[in-house]
Amino acid sequence: MMNVLQNFRKITVLLLISITQAQFLSAHEKNRACNNHYKHTFFCDLCGCSTSSGSFGFGTLSNANFVGVRYLYQNFESKNGIFENSPISKEVFRTYQLWAQIPVIKTFYLSANVPYHDLSRTFNGITENISGLGDSSLIGWYKLIFYKKQNEETLNFDVKKEASGHSIQFGLGLKLPTGEFEERLADNINPGFQVGTGSTDGILSFGYNYGGNTLGVNTLFSYYLKGENKNEYQFGNQFSYTTNLYTALSTKKMNIMPFLGVSGDIYSSIKQYGETLNDTDGSIINASLGSEFAVEDFIFGASYTLPVNQNLFGHDVKSKQRISVYINYAL
Amino acid sequence: MKTLKFTFALLLCAILFSCSSNDDDNIAEDLSGQKGQLILKFDNGIGDQDFIFGTNYSKSNNESYKVDNLKYIISNIRIKDSQGNLVMYPEQDNAFIIDEAEANNAGEILLTLNNIDAADYTEITFGIGIDQERFALGANGQGNFLELAESKGMLWSWAAGYKFIRIDGTFSNDSVTDEPLNIHMGSVGSSLDNYREVTLSFTNTARIRQHTSPEVHIKSDISKVFDGITTINFADGYDQVHVDAVETPIVANNISGMFIVHHVHND
Repeated sequence: MMNVLQNFRKITVLLLISITQAQFLSAHEKNRACNNHYKHTFFCDLCGCSTSSGSFGFGTLSNANFVGVRYLYQNFESKNGIFENSPISKEVFRTYQLWAQIPVIKTFYLSANVPYHDLSRTFNGITENISGLGDSSLIGWYKLIFYKKQNEETLNFDVKKEASGHSIQFGLGLKLPTGEFEERLADNINPGFQVGTGSTDGILSFGYNYGGNTLGVNTLFSYYLKGENKNEYQFGNQFSYTTNLYTALSTKKMNIMPFLGVSGDIYSSIKQYGETLNDTDGSIINASLGSEFAVEDFIFGASYTLPVNQNLFGHDVKSKQRISVYINYAL
Repeated sequence: MKTLKFTFALLLCAILFSCSSNDDDNIAEDLSGQKGQLILKFDNGIGDQDFIFGTNYSKSNNESYKVDNLKYIISNIRIKDSQGNLVMYPEQDNAFIIDEAEANNAGEILLTLNNIDAADYTEITFGIGIDQERFALGANGQGNFLELAESKGMLWSWAAGYKFIRIDGTFSNDSVTDEPLNIHMGSVGSSLDNYREVTLSFTNTARIRQHTSPEVHIKSDISKVFDGITTINFADGYDQVHVDAVETPIVANNISGMFIVHHVHND
């Protein structure tokens, strides 16, 4: 009999909790930014605001909202010829980016990205330059936050639903051809030497975040369905992944959040006039090291990325390094 | 929540719609009367290395060679379109000398074929050397090519005819160092027929149009002259190949296997 009663009580408690949970959802949301309890408050804490699109992620280690600017510096080397000892051209890609994550409702937010590219390549002592507005992207995200199971023994009705630190998000978006695609450049060994692809691409994303008291993990998988541009040139579909492991060190004035990351891209072959072009598929795996510094509502971030393993365009293109610096203002 | 699901469904639709291929816009273009250019890029190499004059290249039998002169004759170029039609380049203009000394700074020798019917081409056939028919036209029937061949050292004499390939340099092996190497292979008048043809499929379609000139990048692996269908050794007398009835067909066969189409650029 006691057992039956106890079970009944448990069920009632659970029911009550479920009901109260609904009410506390929104109230809890704001504090959830990360599960870390810092001395001072900021919404875009270490979970937030790192890295960008593609294997860079779309901007946030977790789901902090912000507006910001980012500078990316990337180096590539491309072989100009079909032989092992063909001469190399060197490419420098500089990107200035406006990026933001804007909340719409508590479970839905938008991330937007407007880049300006300044690309240069040097071959045989001659430097070519192209610059201009790049391809912008807009992604809508649906976020699902997981909460801790209530401790049945304590029966503490005052406790708000406690976030477990785990959350997942689904993203659907578009990459728009706001950058100009120049066909004469498509004949270059590095077909990425473009400010835009000229195509409208679909973006599908899935993310998982965990923010614990000392450690956090942020993982994002994205798939790009590439469209064909008006020159009947179609970049290969792309699968990107990135995961960052971070921690937090607090001082009175700021929080320092170093992170280690692994990211990568897998590309399908480029198609032109409906035909697959040889040696235009490939993959790259990168390792990153960086940190964010949060001071009041501002987040300063920097990271350095090195390729660990790559096979791009039949080994004709080599990524050398990537440097990222950004300043975000938490919303 | 409902609105959200609806928004997502809408977004998904938009994505799928924008990414679906528009098969119905592939209406056949009218190409009649359109003429365009085809550019052939000959790129000499030794295996996966770009060919460079004076570089010491090793071959089989512990032998090595350095080359300071490399030329060959290409003729009777014809291309096949996706419908199976063969287009022969006009005969009087259809003989060329590919001379490594004329390569651009990327090491490529460009050959431009003008006035070709616009179409999607999938295959190329060409000869290495000069066929018996063209040779039978006599010295006067050779047009400007005879003079060109003579100036480039690709002719023995009218009677002996053209040298189809010319490789000059030096070779080394276990017993000698930097001895002269001269491969001068031809048909030797009409006593031998060392003219060979090769047919190469394009990696992707070459779309010749009024304003687009596709480039066919042809890789010529010069190492195949020595280590081709038949392996030949300098030590066995292949350091000097001229008019020999046994040696020259072997070299001719080896050369016919040295070409591949690496890729095609449509611009």
